[in-house]
Amino acid sequence: MNERLQKLAFSPLLVVVYAILLLPVVIVVLTSLTVNQAPTIPSDGVSLEWYVSLFQNSQMISAITTSTIVGICAALLAGTMGTITAFGFVRSEIPYKESLATVMLLPLMISPVIVGLALLRFGSQVGIPTGYVQIILGHAVLTFPFVFLIVRARLLTFDDRLEAASRTLGANSLETVCNVTLPILAPSIVAGMVIAFVFSFGEFTATQFLVSPETTTVPVIIYTQIQTGLSPEISALATVLVALALVAGALGDRIQ
Amino acid sequence: MRTITVSSAALPRPVRRFVSPRVLIGIGLLWLSVFFVVPVVYLLFESLNFGDGSLLANYEQALQAVYRQALYRTFGYALLTTVLTLLLGYLTAYYIAFKSSRPFLLLTLVLLPLWVAIIIRFFGVRLFFLSSGPVQQLFGTDFGIMNSRNGVILGLMSALLPFAVLPIYNSLQSIDDELIHASRTLGAGQFQTLRSVIFPLSLSGVIAATLFVFILAAGSFLAPAIMGGPSNFMMANVIEEAQSYSVSLAAAMAVVFTGSLLIVIGAFNHVANVSEVLGDL
Amino acid sequence: MLEVHGLTKAYGSLVAVDDLSFKIEQGEFATLLGPSGCGKSTTLHTIAGLRAATEGSVSLRGEDVTNVPTDERNIGFVFQHSALFPHMTALENITYGLEMQGFEGRDHDEQAQRFLEMVQLGDHGDHKPTELSGGQQRRLSLARALAYEPDILLLDEPLTGLDRVLREDMRNEIKQIQREVDVTTLHVTHDQAEALSMSDRVIVMNDGQKEQEGSPKELYRAPDTEFVAEFVGKSTKFTGTATAPSSSGDGQVLATDTAAVSVGDRRIEFADTDDSVDEQVSLYVRPEQIDIRKTGQQTGTANAFEATVAHIEYLGHRNEIEATLEDGTTVTAYADATIDLELGEAITIEFDPSDVIVL
Repeated sequence: MNERLQKLAFSPLLVVVYAILLLPVVIVVLTSLTVNQAPTIPSDGVSLEWYVSLFQNSQMISAITTSTIVGICAALLAGTMGTITAFGFVRSEIPYKESLATVMLLPLMISPVIVGLALLRFGSQVGIPTGYVQIILGHAVLTFPFVFLIVRARLLTFDDRLEAASRTLGANSLETVCNVTLPILAPSIVAGMVIAFVFSFGEFTATQFLVSPETTTVPVIIYTQIQTGLSPEISALATVLVALALVAGALGDRIQ
Repeated sequence: MRTITVSSAALPRPVRRFVSPRVLIGIGLLWLSVFFVVPVVYLLFESLNFGDGSLLANYEQALQAVYRQALYRTFGYALLTTVLTLLLGYLTAYYIAFKSSRPFLLLTLVLLPLWVAIIIRFFGVRLFFLSSGPVQQLFGTDFGIMNSRNGVILGLMSALLPFAVLPIYNSLQSIDDELIHASRTLGAGQFQTLRSVIFPLSLSGVIAATLFVFILAAGSFLAPAIMGGPSNFMMANVIEEAQSYSVSLAAAMAVVFTGSLLIVIGAFNHVANVSEVLGDL
Repeated sequence: MLEVHGLTKAYGSLVAVDDLSFKIEQGEFATLLGPSGCGKSTTLHTIAGLRAATEGSVSLRGEDVTNVPTDERNIGFVFQHSALFPHMTALENITYGLEMQGFEGRDHDEQAQRFLEMVQLGDHGDHKPTELSGGQQRRLSLARALAYEPDILLLDEPLTGLDRVLREDMRNEIKQIQREVDVTTLHVTHDQAEALSMSDRVIVMNDGQKEQEGSPKELYRAPDTEFVAEFVGKSTKFTGTATAPSSSGDGQVLATDTAAVSVGDRRIEFADTDDSVDEQVSLYVRPEQIDIRKTGQQTGTANAFEATVAHIEYLGHRNEIEATLEDGTTVTAYADATIDLELGEAITIEFDPSDVIVL
């Protein structure tokens, strides 16, 4: 069959796939600009009134602040633990290493409902304070595998000769790690942390168990509003979230 | 970038000596044990009944017909989602890898939604089919999407398509062009080459995609909550509901669900080498 | 058997193959030789139908196949890096081709086994390609391309990445198998030694165009262009303006029919093929045509020059010498291993005017 004809045969499929992938995000952005009281696609004029009301709503502002604090702390924690663990796994030989590496990925595989519930129950049992501490720990656990995987992949392709060169130049192993290895790994670590931040900012399922009234996060507000009645303000809030995530993503991409 | 040179001379000897890779693994294991493994195991402990009646009383309750049905529904929906998502995902990945003149753009568009919180994407799907949304406005019907199984599946497909396209694309991409050429010179047509050479060589990607999509679909809370409604609740929703009145019942259901999921993955591992694919991650 | 006519392949403004034409007869072993990027590989891929020609035609068995898809051309193709299917065993790799080509005549397993044995892999049928050594992989790849008895065998630098000893073994083996199954073969390589040792006929390509076509002997002894003279075999090059055949100055006797060019204050004499007087000419002398003598043993040939040994490469049975003339020209020659030479030693090099290649 002709090459051009084949490409044509694929086009309905591509239209469906990319519509399924992208239109949900597009409609959220569009409905945030509506002049109606319901989140509809603006047909008679656009306005930014929902953004104005969003930023005048103290509950929303406080949720954005909470989500930012949680995201940064969780990303830092996941980044540190993920990097440390990836280092250990690539640079040492221990029995059952492959199985243990799979265990490191479990937080991605077990339903976040179960992770959230488990952390809530265990936390209250051993006295981990609810609110920030529990949410940050939960998000760090959930995003830890991303950093682990990314840093491990980078370490596996790392040119050992660079470290050997550093040693021949008189640096000891710790100096080599700090001056040679870490700077080369830094883009991967940061990229992992950016993903962790974005994931944390949007996480709802596990978070719903861990929030306290003072630490409501953005996704929790969105979820509550979806359940109780829709205001275009939610579209505006979601759009802010999308913009934030895309900026973070572009930054992460540039760094890597 | 300015280079900051770090010297370890200032550090005490013991610090230098004890930072070995094994110690680092130890730190990682300890961290994940304390904040993940132990809490999950604690949930297992909470599912047991130490009061009156049988030790497994909560499990008897968790396996009642109504919850069993939710369990079947969970795996049924997950399977349906996996089949549909993989079908679309494979064709898309195939197109991007072999037919497209703009593979980078198409791949970026697949990746882009991953940056957007999943709750927002489900919200977007819902906005489409609301009574004030474009579909009902245009066609006067939601095509049976709202509060139905189809809505849950559509939402899950939208959320999980990137997890199918990316691993499959990667495995297709790593097939040496020479192998495809070789197949053609040996007399195989395009479809025959796809069947005998390209597909078998992309199996690792298909296995990874199956695993990702199935696990994420089965554990989803938001898709049934936003698109399905109570009659289409999956295990994650049922567990969330139960924990508000009986934590031990919720815990027992969590154990039943995770156990079943492990059995399904184990069975899958029997036909396809999952651990090898996971090791390659 | 194969006829390529006016073949042109352009990638945008870049022309990889430019109006190339040649023919290959039944049973012939022909080689497309040229430096990397000269378009030889593109030509081969176009003959196989793996790339579409921009212009021109390809005929096989007298039929125009320019627009026939690869799988219907009945060709055997051996790829640069073997291109063995990693998910199939050695035997399955071969039967795949037999099935796809719809080979009749013999049971597929039997035919595959026969070809495995031909390439000395008879008991490796159930091995996966990764379990075979580099040389075994190349042989399997050859067997796969030949098993269904294609009309023509196309070899795309099939020895790339093998070490030198293995390459030389494989050359002989490929040549031997090609004779045994008597298949028309078109081979592509950048290695002139490989081309000269294997081929009945060599087509030298440069910049997408054919430079010269001929037997290895013709190319070596009578190159048509400077490119061919320099690319095929080693030589020493002199350039200068040809002067009339005369006995000017030096008191040396010049053979009739010779012209000369000046190198420094020396004259190099050569058999004059046409009237090239006053034209700029390039002269090439092959290393085996040059005699090396220690100074003082001069015999009085027309072209004898003083030189200094600059480099000696010991090849065992003989030595390859690079010597520098007074004007700085580097001469490459072979010296018998029995002659003891040292770096910096003064020697005399001589060659016969009739051995000089004039272009």
